[in-house]
Amino acid sequence: MKEVVVHPERCVGCMQCMIACATAHSKAKSLFAATLESPLPKPRVHVGVGQYDEGFPNRCRHCDPAPCLLACLPGAISRDLSTNTVLIDPDRCINCATCAMVCPFGVLRYHEEGSAPPGKTVAVKCDNCIGRQEAGLAPACVEVCKSGALTFEELSEAMRRKTNEISRTVSVAAEPQDLSPGFSLLNTMKKSLIQVRTG
Amino acid sequence: MMGVNDMTPKRERKTITEDGLLLLDKMEKDRVTTVWDRFQDQLPNCGYCEMGLSCRNCVMGPCRVDPFGEGPQVGVCGADANIIVARNLGRMIAAGAASHSDHGRDLVDVLAQVGEGNNAGYQIRDPNKLKQVAGEFGVDVGGKDDLTIASELAYQMQEDYGMRRKSLTLLARAPEKRRELWMSLGVVPRGIDRETSEMMHRTHMGVDNDWKSLLLHGIRNALSDGWGGSMIASDVSDILFGTPTPHPTKVNAGVLEEDQVNIVVHGHNPVVSEMVLHACHSPDLLARAEENGATGINLVGVCCTGNELLMRHGIAMAGNHLSTELILATGAVDMMIVDYQCIMPSISSVAACYNTKMISTSDKAKFPGMDHREFHPHNAEKMAVQVVTEAIENFVNRKEVFIPTTATDAVGGFSVEAVLGALGGTPEPLLEAIKTGKIRGAAGIVGCNNPRIQQDYGHVTLTQRLIENDILVVDTGCVSVANAKAGFKVADAISFAGPGLKEICGALGIPPVLHFGSCVDNVRILVLASALANALDVDISDLPIAGAAPEWYSEKAATIGVYFVASGVYTVLGPMPPITGSMDIVKLLTEDLESVVGATFAVEPDPENAAILIRKRIESKRAALGLDARDG
Repeated sequence: MKEVVVHPERCVGCMQCMIACATAHSKAKSLFAATLESPLPKPRVHVGVGQYDEGFPNRCRHCDPAPCLLACLPGAISRDLSTNTVLIDPDRCINCATCAMVCPFGVLRYHEEGSAPPGKTVAVKCDNCIGRQEAGLAPACVEVCKSGALTFEELSEAMRRKTNEISRTVSVAAEPQDLSPGFSLLNTMKKSLIQVRTG
Repeated sequence: MMGVNDMTPKRERKTITEDGLLLLDKMEKDRVTTVWDRFQDQLPNCGYCEMGLSCRNCVMGPCRVDPFGEGPQVGVCGADANIIVARNLGRMIAAGAASHSDHGRDLVDVLAQVGEGNNAGYQIRDPNKLKQVAGEFGVDVGGKDDLTIASELAYQMQEDYGMRRKSLTLLARAPEKRRELWMSLGVVPRGIDRETSEMMHRTHMGVDNDWKSLLLHGIRNALSDGWGGSMIASDVSDILFGTPTPHPTKVNAGVLEEDQVNIVVHGHNPVVSEMVLHACHSPDLLARAEENGATGINLVGVCCTGNELLMRHGIAMAGNHLSTELILATGAVDMMIVDYQCIMPSISSVAACYNTKMISTSDKAKFPGMDHREFHPHNAEKMAVQVVTEAIENFVNRKEVFIPTTATDAVGGFSVEAVLGALGGTPEPLLEAIKTGKIRGAAGIVGCNNPRIQQDYGHVTLTQRLIENDILVVDTGCVSVANAKAGFKVADAISFAGPGLKEICGALGIPPVLHFGSCVDNVRILVLASALANALDVDISDLPIAGAAPEWYSEKAATIGVYFVASGVYTVLGPMPPITGSMDIVKLLTEDLESVVGATFAVEPDPENAAILIRKRIESKRAALGLDARDG
């Protein structure tokens, strides 16, 4: 089963995943039309700001066991086993925010939503683009990410790749590997700027 | 137990200025957002854009290149990272050159109209400079009256903007070796508008796709501003409004007066602010102000149009770029009059909270929430009276006033002419002080404020480190206001300087940090550097001098940086320009340019380290000239 894997070292903070996510959860599925909808579709992946002003795409981990699922009083949260996705049923959700209280990653938001009854505020979070997956597509955030910070792959494949990456760094007399000297330079400069700013 | 606070980021310091901190506290209480809040809202910035790797030049795209090498490596057209970064940098330079040069164009326009007799309040204030510059432009001044000369000079300057020249007229001010170098590199600018226009052409899809050739044109484009549009702007301002001489002045928010009508001019071009200043002296309007309960009319500046008035009339400065929103929170600004450049469109919403009337004046710069009173040379005098009258009428709407500090003393107005005057007419005494090592060299610190850096920290720290190491500092634009606020611009400021610089400045009665003017006045630094190089019969790149832009933000500053480096001045930038997407271009700008133009860029956000880089550079240039050199 393929899952979304996050590679924070490759996030350039462009926020295109957020735009693609909101568009994928609109009625129109196109950016320009989506911006005219009411309620406005909102992203379920949130790019946060790190200690050095770098980006990080914070999305639902679809934990197992999932604290939100266990805590949800009306039983609005369930797991789709075929995609290992924790899902919220907007009809059952009572907007009590218990899920947000127990979520270790702060991924829940509360607002009106196209798939919820009109006028009802519900808990909203990543659904792994389950509809797109049924159509054979990768989740929208992955499709739009061009720097490789979000991938959609078998976990075993991602782990094997990471294992090999680490292994190469401990080879005898290994040259230090820099994925992108330019990005590293930019981050060095940003880190220096922050140090100047915070003292 | 781990508290929430352990995870919250360190509180970032926004400014080092006392008035700024107090006004920021007030704005926080008043729940008014500032540039720093908007900066936080933008984080994280888009990495593609920060690295120069996104291209929006056509609609086959927009495209971006993956800096990690796995995603797309070329745009739809096939442009790789080098081409995309070079094109983006080229357009940045073009925008900066266009801005300063268009400012120059507006002045030439006024000069032409004065020459035709449609003066409407403008006049030739410095006939000597008129004749000198006219001579340089090949105008025969013999037996002609000033207006005829002005008219002919304006025509010749208009030719510099066009396509009839093989090279710009004022390049002749550069040392011969420098001009020969530009010739051999093929970067001699031919027309001011031509080079900007050609840059836009070259960066269109399918034109110049050799990144080195694009960057060489970037140099030519920047030179067309530094030795063209900006230099003309500075010269014509001197001709029309007077060549600056040292004037005492005051700086920081404390220059606002509780019992007077406070008018702040903001922007860049003296064409508007000079007329407003004239109106503020009108006895009718002063009487009107008194009728409204004010004891006078207090005109002060922010940004470069303020610097223009400071240089020529000693007008006080309320602040620099990042102070523009803050000073409105005093509640004491009855009107802010803007022309163009660096005016944040947010400012009217701040003004609305504090009863400040906002006036836009340029047909090419309109802003939300401002009343538009369009100034043209023929109506400027009348229009100035009208807006000052409106300011006086707004005085009665004053509410709570909070003026946080008392103003700091400063001296401004060091044109090249004034500096040479102070030296007795020749650069020789300055050269002698450099030769004996009392003054190690000179640095031009220029540029903006940027919320990425604590306001004024970069400028003031770098300046302090340089003067205490006997390096004379000349500054312009936002830096000059920062250094004035820090108290570096009074004769007593020699107490901050090293022993040699202290001795020389003490003997001349000048501060160790000289206010050279607005950001178009960076060209005054080029002119002074050329005079020093010519006196020593060397190139600018041989001199023990350096440039720095510790808090730069604008496209204009990028262009200034390029014309400094292309003129042979090693230049240290604070924030990184959007070029790290191409390490080839980073290497070219920070290393390889040395063998091409005799100078490079360096990027160093920490001003303490920037000071070390500049000191090393200056000492190495001293050694090469056979002068004594200290170890870095």
